[in-house]
Amino acid sequence: MANKADLSIEYLGVKCENPFFLSSSPVGGCYDMVAKAYESGWGGVFFKTVGRFIADECSPRFDQNGKEQTPWIGFKNMEQISDKPLEDNLQAIHRLKRDYPDKIMVATIMGSSDEEWKELSELVTQAGADLIECNFSCPQMTSHAMGSDVGQSPDLVRQYSRAVSSATKLPVIAKMTPNIGNMEVPAIAAIEGGAKGVSAINTIKSITNINLEHMTAMPVVNGKSSISGYSGAAVKPIGLRFIAQMKQHPLLKDVQMSGIGGIETWRDALEYILVGSHNVQVTTSVMQYGYRIVEDMASGLAYYMEEHGFNKLEDMVGLALPNIIPAEELDRNFKVIVKIDHEKCIGCGRCYVSCFDAAHQAINWDFEKRRPSVNDECVGCHLCLNVCPVPDCIEPGEIKYKDESKRIPKDIAFQTRYE
Amino acid sequence: MSKVTSKNQLQGKEIERDYLDEAVHGYNLRTAMEEAARCVLCYDAPCSKGCPSNTRPADFIRSIRFRNLKGAAAIIREANALGGCTAKVCPYDRMCEEACSRTGIDRPIQIGRLQAFAVAMEREYDMDVLKAPKADKEKVACIGSGPASLTVAQRLALGGYKVTIFEEFDKPGGVLTYGIIPPRLPQDVVDYDIKKVKDLGVEFVMNTKVGRDVTIEQLKEKGYKAFFVGTGLWKSKEVDVKGKELQGVTYAVDFLKKARSASGDWKVDGEVIVIGGGDVAMDCAATAKLLGASRVTIVYRRTLQEAPADIAELEYVQALGVSIFTKFKPQEIMGENGKVTGLIAEGTDDFSQLKLKANHIIFAIGQDAEDMKKIAQVELNPNGTIACDMNKGFTNIDGIFAAGDIVNGGKTVNEAVAAGKTVAESIIKYLTKKEGVN
Repeated sequence: MANKADLSIEYLGVKCENPFFLSSSPVGGCYDMVAKAYESGWGGVFFKTVGRFIADECSPRFDQNGKEQTPWIGFKNMEQISDKPLEDNLQAIHRLKRDYPDKIMVATIMGSSDEEWKELSELVTQAGADLIECNFSCPQMTSHAMGSDVGQSPDLVRQYSRAVSSATKLPVIAKMTPNIGNMEVPAIAAIEGGAKGVSAINTIKSITNINLEHMTAMPVVNGKSSISGYSGAAVKPIGLRFIAQMKQHPLLKDVQMSGIGGIETWRDALEYILVGSHNVQVTTSVMQYGYRIVEDMASGLAYYMEEHGFNKLEDMVGLALPNIIPAEELDRNFKVIVKIDHEKCIGCGRCYVSCFDAAHQAINWDFEKRRPSVNDECVGCHLCLNVCPVPDCIEPGEIKYKDESKRIPKDIAFQTRYE
Repeated sequence: MSKVTSKNQLQGKEIERDYLDEAVHGYNLRTAMEEAARCVLCYDAPCSKGCPSNTRPADFIRSIRFRNLKGAAAIIREANALGGCTAKVCPYDRMCEEACSRTGIDRPIQIGRLQAFAVAMEREYDMDVLKAPKADKEKVACIGSGPASLTVAQRLALGGYKVTIFEEFDKPGGVLTYGIIPPRLPQDVVDYDIKKVKDLGVEFVMNTKVGRDVTIEQLKEKGYKAFFVGTGLWKSKEVDVKGKELQGVTYAVDFLKKARSASGDWKVDGEVIVIGGGDVAMDCAATAKLLGASRVTIVYRRTLQEAPADIAELEYVQALGVSIFTKFKPQEIMGENGKVTGLIAEGTDDFSQLKLKANHIIFAIGQDAEDMKKIAQVELNPNGTIACDMNKGFTNIDGIFAAGDIVNGGKTVNEAVAAGKTVAESIIKYLTKKEGVN
């Protein structure tokens, strides 16, 4: 790495070399995989969920959807928890911690009764895990006593968090399901039960595509399919929202969060940190590109910290939270009118089409010159700016105040720049 | 059959090129979607305005983009009887792609390749986009079976007319079948477009040259009420160069037709010189090289910048190893025992000289009209083409119409289609109201 920014962070009392973790999933399910991930630069791993239940998987089990030339915007998987015997998994956890003592091993577990959760808690503690994560959220379990059905019940979350915490000295993390309106409710229940941290989000129940010939969802398993978990870049906005909302809740503001959902780049990871995560967990982008993506995550994040003068990762945790406020508190006293750079304009007319069909008919179109111009109807919504295919062609321009007496002495236009 | 082998500079791989191999690979669904996604989907799109035949590229690209592949194919087939052929041979860089807004960002959308993809989907889905009504209207004869005639026939068949195409050669298509090389235009693409015209009930009469094998008067007696002349330009331009009578001197039209008729099963021996700088010259050079010529050289009297050939065509022949001498014109063809042995060319700077060994010399300096008076007493231009309005097609004789190369003196397939579409309207107007004669 070209620069030396310190990416280490303490998470639930455990010193981590960086905030990049694999999430409990197919990308970290055996010794060889995790060993390779560690050596690729991942700071830690949430080992693929272990339990007494041994998964019997279907084939095929994945689907993905894209838009334009970008496949894999969203990804659906039907895998459950580990399909290996518990003893094999405990053995792998043990050997990995022995061979990679500086890397973090989080054992993710899933039981179906108090006794089973306790037993698993004890077993993974003995195996040498640094932390324990309770999977209350897998949406495709074939047993309704397990998975996201549990995560939707605050009582069960509290009860099982208590069972797991009572059987170990290790900090316990509750992994939440997004298939719920307010995640704060089960998250508070988990903390009441003794959990110290919260991970979010697990996958979102989904149907990615309907197969138009077989009249069922994708993937088609012998003519049928099931609703199951959705992940990938498409879910990042939902993950960020859940983390931010939990961190803004008075009862959860001091609980350490592990952010999950659609992380592919250092920017995605940093966004999760800025809404209050202490680390991030990644699966889908590793399934698509491999463990090597962590190299650019680490390097890119270090460059950002250097550029912005941050010395410690910890200093960036939650920095965006004070600026994410209820809609009723936003300053609505001005509009930022757009300006169009006719030198850069290629004359495609997309701004004209979108403004007319979906906004305020505030752009006129010159058929002769093939150039748009903004008229007095502009409300500063910036739809045009978002559809324009040319970088920096349409930009925030003049600021018009509704109440001139309440002018703000800041450069608001600059604050509304888009990438 | 011989092949040309060359090295791919990027991948270091050996590439074999065969006379029947297409120069450009087609898109598959994924690559087509990628390219369609690059399209910025312009309002009032300039690409569509840049298409002479109004094949509506903006609309078919949008259909591809929104996964309506059948819709894309239908737009093309409805707009252009030769949607498959024009997708391959249009000079896009002077038409739709030149107008493409995306050029302002990086490079134009590959509209021709998307069009070829949509037409390939039409075939894949075995679509019948067009349905002709019962042919209960007047009989119309189309003379020649090239782009203009095929277009007129398609339009008239869709209007309920009984159309017969009379073709001198044994296969239909004219320049499409006999004048363009398979790497640019595979025969199956030509055949598919023609099949779509046939499917509308158009009758094809082969090996019949109107004016030689049958006269317009005889056809009138058989009930034909209107005549369309789309015979193209098939007489090679000749130059007065010493030695032009030697064995080994040939003309582009004959050379290309022979190669195409043999489906490439024909060996060109020795060294070949092509005289000319248009697409036809490039086609001759590529054909000679692909059919085994040991060396192929193009001699052209102007600069490359002035050459009418497409950039893609120029690049293609150069990739095949053809060398090009510009600003030279033939001075003398050398020979021994009645056979060509070489060419002496003089520079247009009145100083440079070129002496090249050759077994074959192909003149590709343009084509002229054959004697149209043999078909009918139509008014002619000084160069022998038919004098009439290029878009309306009325000749000076009542009931006789013309369009395509025989009128415009040799332009693109797309422009022939464009003219065919409007002239078909003239014919329909003529037959319904008997009006509009000059």
